[in-house]
Amino acid sequence: MSNAKTVRRSWWSRTGTISWREFKHTALTKAFFFGAVVVPMLFLGVGFLVPFMVDKNAPPIKGTVAVIDPTGKIAAAAQHIIDTEGDTGLFGDMPAEAQETIDTAVATQGGGASAMLAAADTRSEIDLTWEIYAQEGVDGAPSIDALKDELKSGNLVALILVNPNGADAKATAPNEAGLSIFVPTSSSPKHQRLIGRAFETALQDARVRSLGITDADFDRVRQRPQAETFRISPTGGEAEEINGARMLIPAGFMFLMWICVFTSANQLLTSTIEEKSNKVMEVLLAAASPMQLLAGKILGQALVSVIMLVMYGGAAIAGLTAASMNDLITTSDLILFALYFIMAYFMIATLMVAVGSAVSDLREAQSLVGPVMILLIIPIMLWLPISESPNGMLATIASFVPPGMPFIMILRVTAANEPVPMWQIIASLVWGYGAMFGMLWLGARIFRVGVLMQGKPPTPKELLKWAFVR
Amino acid sequence: MSLAIQLENISKRFGSVQAVDEVSLELPEGSLCGFLGPNGAGKSTTIRMLMSIISPDSGVLRVLGGSALDNKDRIGYLPEERGLYRKMKVGEFLWYIAKLKGVHPTGLTQRINDWLDRVQLPGVAKKRCEELSKGMQQKVQLLSALIHRPDLLILDEPYSGLDPLNSRLITELIRDEQRRGATIIFSTHQMHTAEALCDRVLLINKGKKVLDANLSQLRAQHDGRGIVVEPAGDPQAYADAALAAGFAARAESTHKGLVEIELRNGIGGNEALNAALAAGACRAVSLRRLSLEDVFVQLVGGSRADLHADGGAADV
Repeated sequence: MSNAKTVRRSWWSRTGTISWREFKHTALTKAFFFGAVVVPMLFLGVGFLVPFMVDKNAPPIKGTVAVIDPTGKIAAAAQHIIDTEGDTGLFGDMPAEAQETIDTAVATQGGGASAMLAAADTRSEIDLTWEIYAQEGVDGAPSIDALKDELKSGNLVALILVNPNGADAKATAPNEAGLSIFVPTSSSPKHQRLIGRAFETALQDARVRSLGITDADFDRVRQRPQAETFRISPTGGEAEEINGARMLIPAGFMFLMWICVFTSANQLLTSTIEEKSNKVMEVLLAAASPMQLLAGKILGQALVSVIMLVMYGGAAIAGLTAASMNDLITTSDLILFALYFIMAYFMIATLMVAVGSAVSDLREAQSLVGPVMILLIIPIMLWLPISESPNGMLATIASFVPPGMPFIMILRVTAANEPVPMWQIIASLVWGYGAMFGMLWLGARIFRVGVLMQGKPPTPKELLKWAFVR
Repeated sequence: MSLAIQLENISKRFGSVQAVDEVSLELPEGSLCGFLGPNGAGKSTTIRMLMSIISPDSGVLRVLGGSALDNKDRIGYLPEERGLYRKMKVGEFLWYIAKLKGVHPTGLTQRINDWLDRVQLPGVAKKRCEELSKGMQQKVQLLSALIHRPDLLILDEPYSGLDPLNSRLITELIRDEQRRGATIIFSTHQMHTAEALCDRVLLINKGKKVLDANLSQLRAQHDGRGIVVEPAGDPQAYADAALAAGFAARAESTHKGLVEIELRNGIGGNEALNAALAAGACRAVSLRRLSLEDVFVQLVGGSRADLHADGGAADV
């Protein structure tokens, strides 16, 4: 008697079949396609398209601005500012290095980068007529109420009332408004900022002059001094401190790893519980060993996780490249990221699948998932303190505590302007992979017993006992 | 003939509970064996050890001449608790299980459709499992145990929850598989089914084997020690008369107007019939054949009062 139609297969063949089902069940669904493919594409698309759309839709500012300016100095100065500077700098004072980056990118790169950055520097079309009065109702000037009616009927784009004492620094109380601006409900916020900023600058200049300070001196004072910070290591190395833009990169690395690992691990938890509660588990165990089942499930979800990583990570890198900031990520960062990602995935996935095997439904899983979630949240809680001090004692200790260590390490190696000591990287990789294999062994032992268990969920102590059952 | 299953003193303990205790069994290839026992007797644990889902604490276990783990692809298994992926399509589920069991993909779709036709589920391959009725799901599950044409088929409660028509269909499938040459072992609580289908019975109770015999041996061992009489008059009066006549060790009237008589040792069949007719007017007298259910109750410790007196009776 023989089973002629079956083929003899290796251990991995059966594991591969299980992996493919696990992958297909998760990844070849509309929900996953939307979440892992469409959304990152959308982010990327929006990043490129919005500046073009903003550029095209920038509304022109046209019409008449009425000003009642008892000081006789402010209206003319504001008009001059708008006529000469337009709406440049409306998004706030840009740091010198950022402005330099933009200017360089616009000058040297074509395509999306220059278009995007140029679009951020967009200027509105301005065509304003000015009606400037010294006082309401005097010398043929209309009353304020009459001007407000004009505003309501759409004949004015703005009405500005300048405080009579506004130009005198000593005569103005500290919190006293220098001017009031009235605009119609249809007015664009950008136009309000344009007019407001021009008048504020004019008022400020007038007050400076009232104190006897020249414009040139004021410009010198107004330039904020820049501090250069250097960290000096015990070995004598010296490195310039990272700037603000670079602070986001480590967080990006860590959160990307966290989201990709957690999404797949959570999927493993639910699919294991589903197989157990649907009683499919025993059918599967009749066809494959618990180790094959465990390996198949973990590897199938690993592929899901990698796809998410490639899509979101790829979108992020494309975004950085488009903004000429790709030099913030080095090849060694990417290699270390891959190594720590593998470590993190297998650690968390094993924990989740072991918990899933031990319970009969999601509700029961909550009590066991709680401690795992706390372990997962620790790296997020430590994000800011470790970013502040990537080579401090807290960071160093946390780098060696599984399962949060891969998240902490990637945060450190990408955040520290002064490199993390090589011995720490090597030690964390050796210790981390050792811990990962230990957790895999422990998880497999728990899984082997858990999948056949029914009844009340086990306590953590019982889970550990299962690991050593023959 | 070589052995499909060979168990030598296998035991399994879960904490303080001895689930299986020194059970031995030799089942030749091509056998159809009923695996009986009350709830919690250790049947499912034994089956799980046969499937190498769990390992015995002690003893030797050989399946299809080797390790159960190595021969998984040659074994078909229907677990007691039915399970399907609810959202998966029926054809996809059967394909997945067949692939896990090592079936070559060539012609697999056709094979799945043929099997579905055979169990009267044509055209359900594209339906999700959750769309099927409980009975249909059970048939799909049975197909998952048969799809790879196993040499050994282990069925845990295959008739549970099936209507009479589907039960008959399952019986036909089991018989076909035996004719094909497969060895079949199935657990059930339906004694009449086991009696009608099996050529071998294994009964375990509290983890211990209490019976391992062919049905013919079983009948020879247990039959012929009782008769059933349908008296013309009052059954109780007839029972008293039978006891007074001395051939009955025990005589009890039943609610159906019959009298069950357990014969004294040394009383033969003919002697018993003559004595029964002499004890009073009778409409019918028959030898009382012990059913598998009677054996089950006897060995597992139940009361004879639970027996169906008219079950398995043969006219004299």
